[in-house]
Amino acid sequence: MAWNEPGGNRNDNDPWGTGGGRRGGNDQGPPDLDEALKKGLDKLNKMLGGKGGKSGGGDSGSGGSAGGFGAVIALAAILVVGYVVYQSFYTVDEQERAVVLRFGEYSRTEDPGLRFKVPLIDDVRKVRVTNVRSAESAGQMLTQDENLVTVDLQVQYQVSNARDYVLNVRDSNQALAFATDSALRHEVGSATLDDVLTEGRAELAINVEQRLQAFLQDYGAGLRIVRVNVESTQPPGPVQDAFREVQRAREDEQRSIEEAETYRNKIVPEARGRAQRLIEEANAYKSRVVETARGETARYLDLLAVYSDAPRVTRERMYIQALENVMSNTSKVFVDTKSSNNMMYLPLDQMIKRNTVTSGRDSSGNTGSMSGQVDIQSVTDEVLRELRNRQATNSRTGR
Amino acid sequence: MGPKSIIGLAGALIVVLVVSASVYIIPETHRGVLLRFGELIETNIPAGIHFKVPVIDQVREFDVRVLTTDLPAHQYLTVEKKPLDVDSYIAWQIADVDTFYRSTGGDEFRAQSLLSSRVDNGLRNEFGVRTMHEVVSGQRDELMHSLRDQVNETSVDEFGIRVLDIRVKAIELPQQVSENVYRRMATEREKLAQEFRSRGREAAEGIRADADRQQTVILAEAFAKSEELRGEGDGEAARIYADAYSQDEEFYSFYRSITAYQNAFSSKDDIMVIDSDSDFLRFLKDPMGATN
Repeated sequence: MAWNEPGGNRNDNDPWGTGGGRRGGNDQGPPDLDEALKKGLDKLNKMLGGKGGKSGGGDSGSGGSAGGFGAVIALAAILVVGYVVYQSFYTVDEQERAVVLRFGEYSRTEDPGLRFKVPLIDDVRKVRVTNVRSAESAGQMLTQDENLVTVDLQVQYQVSNARDYVLNVRDSNQALAFATDSALRHEVGSATLDDVLTEGRAELAINVEQRLQAFLQDYGAGLRIVRVNVESTQPPGPVQDAFREVQRAREDEQRSIEEAETYRNKIVPEARGRAQRLIEEANAYKSRVVETARGETARYLDLLAVYSDAPRVTRERMYIQALENVMSNTSKVFVDTKSSNNMMYLPLDQMIKRNTVTSGRDSSGNTGSMSGQVDIQSVTDEVLRELRNRQATNSRTGR
Repeated sequence: MGPKSIIGLAGALIVVLVVSASVYIIPETHRGVLLRFGELIETNIPAGIHFKVPVIDQVREFDVRVLTTDLPAHQYLTVEKKPLDVDSYIAWQIADVDTFYRSTGGDEFRAQSLLSSRVDNGLRNEFGVRTMHEVVSGQRDELMHSLRDQVNETSVDEFGIRVLDIRVKAIELPQQVSENVYRRMATEREKLAQEFRSRGREAAEGIRADADRQQTVILAEAFAKSEELRGEGDGEAARIYADAYSQDEEFYSFYRSITAYQNAFSSKDDIMVIDSDSDFLRFLKDPMGATN
């Protein structure tokens, strides 16, 4: 700055401060700087007894060589002033805040925009505050039930207080990383393995976030946790197989149950079907038996009506008709035992042999379809027996 | 350029040098001490611009921000003699630069090593009276707070250092113990897997048995119902027969008999050996049907 001073030939650079007054009329910030510079220069000039200024003046008048030297100094002075002015302004980006220290002491925190500082006196430290940063923490850790689990965690955080961030903690990022490790392991250590692996993960993230925020608060780190993501929780490598085995077992359990249900769904409806068939068959039997009885008795009753009108004739006709039927359908051997006393030879064995062959065929062909008939016969026999009994009792009581 | 101006320039330079040597700035993040011939004449100098006597006075400044120091991992034994590998860190800051300078010569590394050996010792004691479970889950906060307070009791006075926090980053089991834990975990899982499978089989067996029972019951009930129906049918039929046939029993037995004859002798294979005296054949011999 002392080398500024010999440029006294420039009108605006009056060493005695008159120019300072003039330039003081200039716009907002820079006068501060210039005044400060001027004060410094004034002090220097007073100390050196203002000889520099006078001699400069003398020189400019006395020789051309001195004039050339003066021009160089002037140029240098302009450059220096320009540099100083350039240094006095700075911009703060939208994503930043600037912490300003004046003579080392905290002065202010500047918001985004064009800002002014005093060179050499103000120290500006810009901090990105809106950016969300992230840190990872991963590793194997102990759970409450003394199992091991591998957890992968991401912490997203922001600078919440630029002043604290710059002034309170020397390495905020490292502090955060350590605190994250500690908070994570603390929370995992307070949870059971199953919680960490399954439904407790969301809760784990919340707890880590709260704990971590508390730690950072204690350190005055000026950081705010935006979010903690528990990215993965896994059993440690050597036991993953065993865990997958449990998963498989769980599937097997379900499969066993499904298979059994398949079996049930097969046999129960089938049984219901068969039951239905049994009942329907019984119903059919019942209807058939009843209707058969009704039919037979209707026929009988009609006949009975006729018989009542003319018993003798009807009876005779029926008898003859029946015997006719029988006779016409069977082989007959007529034996007149009275008229001949000869021994009669009948080839019964041959007849019976033929008989059994055909009747065997007959019976095998007919048994199935005749079963109903047989039933009816048994029923009617029953009825007959019953009737006889009643007759007997009736006659007994009648007596 | 005359000699006067050269002298002036030199003088100005000297003044600037002197001023710059006598002014010093301590930033907000630091605190300073002023030493005159090695003697501490000004302590705990706050942030801001300050003056000193050039050459004679010396300024030492110390960063008083919170610093986190990673402690090397050590193995500690819990009260039940289980070894644990513990990795911890300390968050600390210089509380009193005066004491700090005197005790450590302003050397942060020395301070850290002094501090870490105290913390190490403290951790060993704290772990030694607690079970593994307490250390891992139950009492971490208590352990750390008690240790921090304990270290602070002496470190502030002796080193000018205030410990904000001592935290365990990681508590790990030594390798061979880990393997035991893995084995135990695997066994537990096997147990669980077995339980799932067996439970599945149990449920399946139950379902099958239930199905079999349902099948049996359904069929038995159907059988009962069908027999009942058949019985109803038989009964009904018998009643109908009885009602009809009881109207003239004599005729019924005749009617029934001749029906039975016709049914019984319905095949050509049946052979009848008939005596000529048969009533049926009486007209065969005598047109008047006189029986002999």
